[in-house]
Amino acid sequence: MGRSYFVDEAVEKYLGGLLAADPGSCVTGLLAGQSSPQRDFVVLAVQTPQRESEGQLKSSRGSGPLDDIDVEWVTEHARQVSRMLPGGLCILGLFLVTPPELSKDAQNTLKRLIFAMDKCISKGRLWELTEEDVNDRVTLHICSKTKKTVCKTLDVKDPKSSSKPADWKYQTCVSSSWPMLTCSVEVDLQIPLTGSSSDNTDKCMKDCLKRWAKQIEAGNCLISGRQALDDSELISGQKKNLKTTHRQTFPARILVSDEQPELDERSSALVQLCSGSMRVRGVVHCRAYIHNNKPKARHAVQAIKRDIINTVSSRVEMFLEDLLISEGSRKGLCTGQQALPRRVFAPMPFSGLSVCDYMFPDESTADVADRLKEMLDWETPEEDIDISLESNQLFSPELEMTDSHSDDSSKHVSEVQVENPHIHKAPQYYAGVVVAATIALLATATSLLYFSE
Amino acid sequence: MVYSEECAIIFRLKGILEFACQLDNPNAGSQSQSTISKSFQGLRSKVSSKHIVFTVCNSPILIWPNTGFRSSVESLTEASACGDILQYIESDDGGSKKTLKKKDKKRSGHTVVNLKLLFEVTDPAGNEAPSLIRVDTQQHCVKMPLHLDCVLSVTTDESLTSVCTGLVETLRKQLADMEEVVQRYRKGSSFLVPQPFHFQLPEPAGLTTVIYPAGVPDSQLQAIREDLHRKFELPSDRPYLRRANAYHFPDAAYKDGYLRNPHIHLNPPNIEDAKLYLVQGVYIYHHYMQDRVDDDGWGCAYRSLQTICSWFQQQGYVETAVPTHTQIQQALVDVGDKEPRFVGSRQWIGSIEVQVVLNQLLGVTSKILFVSQGSELATKGRELANHFQTEGTPVMIGGGVLAHTILGVAWSENSGQIRFLILDPHYTGGEDLQTITDKGWCGWKGPEFWDQNAYYNLCLPQRPKTI
Repeated sequence: MGRSYFVDEAVEKYLGGLLAADPGSCVTGLLAGQSSPQRDFVVLAVQTPQRESEGQLKSSRGSGPLDDIDVEWVTEHARQVSRMLPGGLCILGLFLVTPPELSKDAQNTLKRLIFAMDKCISKGRLWELTEEDVNDRVTLHICSKTKKTVCKTLDVKDPKSSSKPADWKYQTCVSSSWPMLTCSVEVDLQIPLTGSSSDNTDKCMKDCLKRWAKQIEAGNCLISGRQALDDSELISGQKKNLKTTHRQTFPARILVSDEQPELDERSSALVQLCSGSMRVRGVVHCRAYIHNNKPKARHAVQAIKRDIINTVSSRVEMFLEDLLISEGSRKGLCTGQQALPRRVFAPMPFSGLSVCDYMFPDESTADVADRLKEMLDWETPEEDIDISLESNQLFSPELEMTDSHSDDSSKHVSEVQVENPHIHKAPQYYAGVVVAATIALLATATSLLYFSE
Repeated sequence: MVYSEECAIIFRLKGILEFACQLDNPNAGSQSQSTISKSFQGLRSKVSSKHIVFTVCNSPILIWPNTGFRSSVESLTEASACGDILQYIESDDGGSKKTLKKKDKKRSGHTVVNLKLLFEVTDPAGNEAPSLIRVDTQQHCVKMPLHLDCVLSVTTDESLTSVCTGLVETLRKQLADMEEVVQRYRKGSSFLVPQPFHFQLPEPAGLTTVIYPAGVPDSQLQAIREDLHRKFELPSDRPYLRRANAYHFPDAAYKDGYLRNPHIHLNPPNIEDAKLYLVQGVYIYHHYMQDRVDDDGWGCAYRSLQTICSWFQQQGYVETAVPTHTQIQQALVDVGDKEPRFVGSRQWIGSIEVQVVLNQLLGVTSKILFVSQGSELATKGRELANHFQTEGTPVMIGGGVLAHTILGVAWSENSGQIRFLILDPHYTGGEDLQTITDKGWCGWKGPEFWDQNAYYNLCLPQRPKTI
């Protein structure tokens, strides 16, 4: 029995538009939405953006347009878009439009792309997959002439398995009444830097973030003031009103404890000689959506927790990537305080959900709008971009909590940018690609080798 | 052991706080001291902040103690009595304990409510997006988890608010005490982890918490204990504050599987005018076939000796484990009392050997009491009563062909009537309290229990006069 994909009608319209635009070529793109154990929901489709240096690609060794597909480019696009998706949503798969003569090779291409993409996306992940997570990814092949669609799924945990057929059904307003969970999380991580090389810096940061991610995963979560116990449903005791367009918002609260199992058995403190230390401090605004087909509270909890972890790790990753480009080396990480990119929200194409983006301190909403156009193939008016959820003021570095019982003493915040020689940025995407290319080249090359039987 | 009748609930709050600080130069005394102080101050602020949450274990209750009292259960408000919490707690003991539970409740007199300390990371004061702050000076980064463990004894009608406020205050005080221990025992960049221990001291001190540095044995903490004995006006000749003396919470199971103090489940004998003189403190019931040693028929005195050794260990006089049969035999060879081939044999030992081994392995002296006829034991009421009153140690008695342990006497000074509380090492079954008490393996016996014609030796171990 295959999986069922319930797809928003707006996606159908978008795909139809692609077919009409350029009948002879191959088009790749992403499909995004939410998986649940019973069924999957697709709410977004985005074609892979054109690569600027296309002239160079004509001299590839491939014998046709399918081989011309730049796997690296597609996966990098997927990686960047997945950073833009709030909790609960992820890249579910890929679509491929081909002219009729290439249809027979389409499945192979899709398989290559799916595995490469999954590898790329899961690399920086700080949380663990559970047994309830769906490992199937959807591939949609559309023949540009006949408009025939073939929908299959691939199990990314089992490269040797063959694809299985799946159902692709269009529906209206798939996500219009999906509940949304929100929270603002205060982050304060102290990262001692052991060793002197810059590689070590990365490892120290990653280890620290991993430990923090585990704390969040293990924490208690309250949704609208109640704990999610066992198998309870998120919305219990309420009549499901299918016609409603009102989206419910559930505030979430996360409670953690400072477990340190690796330090527990020691009778003395762990002391390390460090060449320095880093501190990540601030408030992140988080959002997650859950489908409204009798969702379980624990899935909603998982979605918001993953969003918390993702948003912090994405920002740190982006900051370091950006530094690598602009300064040429990690030594450019100067002392003092530097702002990490802040999260802004915009409406998602077609649906009423939101997507997010990260804005560097010297960027404006115009830059964000450009990026959204490029990555999501969608015009977003600047006034629709919500930049109010995270402020661009910085915590004062000298701020120490006073030893008093009242904690709402006014905090002194400064707006000063400290020592941040930031070059005016080209759109984030390209910068990211260069880094990703150098880092991920080996990975994709390996996967290509693996699949070219 | 007298439990005050008014204290009905013990609230026990446990949690972990990470202590972290950066020292530029660990050997610069005052600078490091103030850095460490600042870190602890930060932790104290943290527990006073509105972000701390108490969760009541095995219940859906969550309490925010520092935000004008907020709880996740609507019917629990500021004014609620803390006893109201009990109805929300699911108990997690198995069915097999049911028959004894009532008696246990009577003995222990305390209900323990366990809470865990959590921190809320949502609902922050501001919304400043994150920034990265980097410091490039060479530093020693110190990290250790502080296992906080706070107790508060209250009556059931105490308000929940005051319990929570009390717990927060206790947390702050514990952090201050921990800071003191950390600073005192720090050598350069070596920090010892401070560990809390709870002790049930005589009133008015009651349940008291002391912080000891991990890794420092009791023997090196003598001076600290002397100070505390003075402070709490405790007798200076018996230990109250060694780690082994720590209070055993009624709801905590012993991990080693042995039974302790089975005698507390017995009803005392009904003799007019008689007073009870019982063993003081905690001992472990050792008997035949335990620890997979088949000593059926020959090991009774060894087992009685093990029970006595366990008493000295449980009261904190020694830190060594209870000796095995082989170790007991080896000790006797070592002092020259037996030939080397004694080790590994199944030879019996008597009270004298018990006295020798207690001295050799534990440094404990014992008095020997001799009675030429079993019938005479009935006249030894005063001596035994005195022993249990002053020393309070279990007594090994050997004679005829049997050895037993005497745990106490019920004796009437007027009528001379006497009963003996006997712990019988000849029991070969498992650690089943029901069987042991029902069948009299631990039970009250009359003077006719002894072989009226045989002679008996009693070994009465003496408490070392130390704290």
